[in-house]
Amino acid sequence: MLPSYLTMAAILFCIGLYGALTKRNAVIVLISVELMLNAVNLNLVAFSKYGVVPSLTGQIFSLFTISVAAAEVAVGIAILIALFRARGTINVDEYDEMRR
Amino acid sequence: MEPVTVYSQYAWLIPVFPLVSFIVLTAFGRGMRSAGMLIGMLGSLAALVLSVLVLLERMTNGDSPEYNYSFDWITIGDFQLNAGYDVTNLSALMLFVVSVVAFLVNLYSAGYLKEDERITVFFGYVALFTFSMLGLVLSDNLLTLYMFWELVGVCSFLLVGFWYTKPEARAAAKKAFIVTRVGDVGLLIAVLLLFWYMPEHDLSFAAIENVFGQTGTIAQGITTLIAILIFVGAAGKSGQFPLHVWLPDAMEGPTPISALIHAATMVAAGVFLVARTYSIFEASQAAMDTVAYVGAFTALFAATIGLVQNDIKRILAYSTVSQLGYMMLALGVGSLSGGIFHLFTHAFFKALLFLGAGSVIHAVHTQNIHEMGGLGRQMKITAWTFGIGALALTGIPPFSGFWSKDAILAVALDKNPFLFAVGILTAFFTALYMARLYFLVFAGKSGAAGKAHESPAVMTIPLVVLAAFAALSGFVELPWAGMGRLGAWLTGEEAAHSGSGLVLVVSTAIGLLGIYLGWLIYVKGAIPRDFISSRAPWLVRLLERKYYIDELYHAVFTVGLRASGRALDAFDTYIVGGAVRLISGAAVWAGRAGTRMQNGQVQTYGLWTVIGLLALILAIAGRRFW
Amino acid sequence: MFNVELTGELVAFFVLAAIMISGAVLMLTLTKVVHMVASLAAVFLGLAGMFVLLEAEFVAFVQVLIYAGAVSILMIFGIMMTKHEAVQEEPVRPVQEIVSAIGALCLFGIMFYAIRLTAFPAPSAPVTTGEDNTMEIGKLLFTQYVIPFELVSVLLTVAFIGAIVLAKKEAE
Repeated sequence: MLPSYLTMAAILFCIGLYGALTKRNAVIVLISVELMLNAVNLNLVAFSKYGVVPSLTGQIFSLFTISVAAAEVAVGIAILIALFRARGTINVDEYDEMRR
Repeated sequence: MEPVTVYSQYAWLIPVFPLVSFIVLTAFGRGMRSAGMLIGMLGSLAALVLSVLVLLERMTNGDSPEYNYSFDWITIGDFQLNAGYDVTNLSALMLFVVSVVAFLVNLYSAGYLKEDERITVFFGYVALFTFSMLGLVLSDNLLTLYMFWELVGVCSFLLVGFWYTKPEARAAAKKAFIVTRVGDVGLLIAVLLLFWYMPEHDLSFAAIENVFGQTGTIAQGITTLIAILIFVGAAGKSGQFPLHVWLPDAMEGPTPISALIHAATMVAAGVFLVARTYSIFEASQAAMDTVAYVGAFTALFAATIGLVQNDIKRILAYSTVSQLGYMMLALGVGSLSGGIFHLFTHAFFKALLFLGAGSVIHAVHTQNIHEMGGLGRQMKITAWTFGIGALALTGIPPFSGFWSKDAILAVALDKNPFLFAVGILTAFFTALYMARLYFLVFAGKSGAAGKAHESPAVMTIPLVVLAAFAALSGFVELPWAGMGRLGAWLTGEEAAHSGSGLVLVVSTAIGLLGIYLGWLIYVKGAIPRDFISSRAPWLVRLLERKYYIDELYHAVFTVGLRASGRALDAFDTYIVGGAVRLISGAAVWAGRAGTRMQNGQVQTYGLWTVIGLLALILAIAGRRFW
Repeated sequence: MFNVELTGELVAFFVLAAIMISGAVLMLTLTKVVHMVASLAAVFLGLAGMFVLLEAEFVAFVQVLIYAGAVSILMIFGIMMTKHEAVQEEPVRPVQEIVSAIGALCLFGIMFYAIRLTAFPAPSAPVTTGEDNTMEIGKLLFTQYVIPFELVSVLLTVAFIGAIVLAKKEAE
């Protein structure tokens, strides 16, 4: 069963990657990043059951990931709101300060 | 026998005088006028005095060894290059001719160019030319001769283009330089070949004479090749066919320059070069024949063109080409003394003719002989001296040209009757065109030019002096046993004048016939002037257009070179430039692509990161999969 | 993969996988933002189901709680506070989209190829997750992983304060 879970994670990751690279709305980009993180979690949990040495460590790692991702979403949304106030837009392609 | 070297050891000073005046004139000449002329004249006068002293010394001690002084010039490894100077009978004679004509031309120019703004520049150039020509004559080896050879070419370029505001003068100067350059390449290759084949790489004339004097040292084919290449160089300078085209055009320069450079001295340098390396030619019969036939052809060819020209200076220029052909003919049939003798007399009478023509042009301000006429009454001295020059050129006894031409024709008859016939025919044409020129300019009614006046004394004195030389210089060599003093002095043995009685009579008769015919046509009018042009207009047009040689060269070389130039230009523009543009375009394109990458948008960066990741995976792990 | 016998786990896996993939794709294609978040919740719930299949009940529970609950709600709030019309605009960057699609597909191809190529050895030890998954995790968290656990709690606190500071309206 392990390859099925890994393939599933890969599909999820690539969809997330595509969304993160193409969507203009910053919130959707953030959601896509969450998808990618979820794909990683799926891998961790799958290896914790079907890996060469099954153990709970994978699950614990996924817990850590989930909490860090939650923190990231909170801060990310906060930054977006602040940016929206400052610039009046949340379209990613209008944030090009890095060019200057 | 010890060489007598009282003056010969100071011969190196002869070119130094004009060089000093050139330097002074170039450095301080700005604003000078009469002082500049004086400096130029003093330089050439000093050279003349010393040259006369050297010549007298050589004449009184004619059979004493030649004086040579040379020093180490360049030492490369164990190879030594010497430079130095030779005082031989030939070079002493040339020194004399060059410095006499140079001095007289200096004197004459003071009158002729009095009004010109750049007169000090002119005198500077003339001084530089005099220096170069004297240096050329004195050189004891081929390499220094080559350097002076190029220097006189430069001076010729500068002086032909002296009136550089005239487009014709600029074109003529360029043409003179480029066409002589073609010949100079031949000479340069000959020098290189000699350097390669000579034992010890010795290029001095003495060594050349030693090596080529004995057979077998250098292979026959190489000898012929070297001789022909030297002759190519000589043909370029001396205006031999097919490199003669520059000389008539060079008449765009001031008339004293035409007299000095393009009649008396520089164009004779080719003849001098052949004479100086005569041992090489003597070692190869094929080279001798080439010289003889090219010379004979040039003589006849130029004389026929001279028949129909209307510009007084161009007629004289073609005459010069023709007479230089005579000299080459003489050298080719083995008469060194005849060639040099004709060079010697020709220098005087042709310089005289040019200066006389200059005097006429100075008076009437035109060069077209049909617009002149009747000048003999108004310009007595010019007319008389010009007449003497014309008679000398035509070969009427007792003037100098008769004797020198006779010396050549006599040897030609002895060696090759065909060449003798060509020479006689040329003499007839020479007489005809000189008669035409003289009668049209000096006889008959006053032409459109109106009132003319005699030139100032500073211009007529050189004419008189040169006329004296032209009349009398022939007596140094007479065609009777014991009287061939010049030949004996130059070559050590008296030239044989076999059958000379016949030649004397024939050449005199031919000359008189030509003059009589000219008189009939142009003075008496017994034969209408358009006698030939109405019957064979194509012939006259062919002659007027100088056998279409210029057009041929234009079609073959100019157009061809221009086409290849265009092709190369296209190659440069499209292939080389295209490659350059491609590279620069690629750089610009890469820059643009880089700019697009750096558009400041996070998602683009993310995309590039993904592409980079893929590339990394393919690069690192890809090997495992295929 | 296909020579595996048709077990209950396999059937459940494929059902959940279908839900998740269609949810993810819908999330990217839908234009109304609320619909997008709803399909996103479906993905998160499907993933929780997969965690249950993998005998990670606690992680599944946390997944539902945090992702399907908190994160989705947070996203809706984010959308509400930034974009009132809440409609995704038409894409205007075809090059970016095409290249991104090609890149993502290539990446997936490489990963899939690698997964297919790798021979995964069978688990060496019996599964030790035990019946009471939550208790085992609790034990591990408070013994072996206590320092990371405490660090994560600090991180969460900092993020919490930071989010408030960032999102707060500028004080006059």
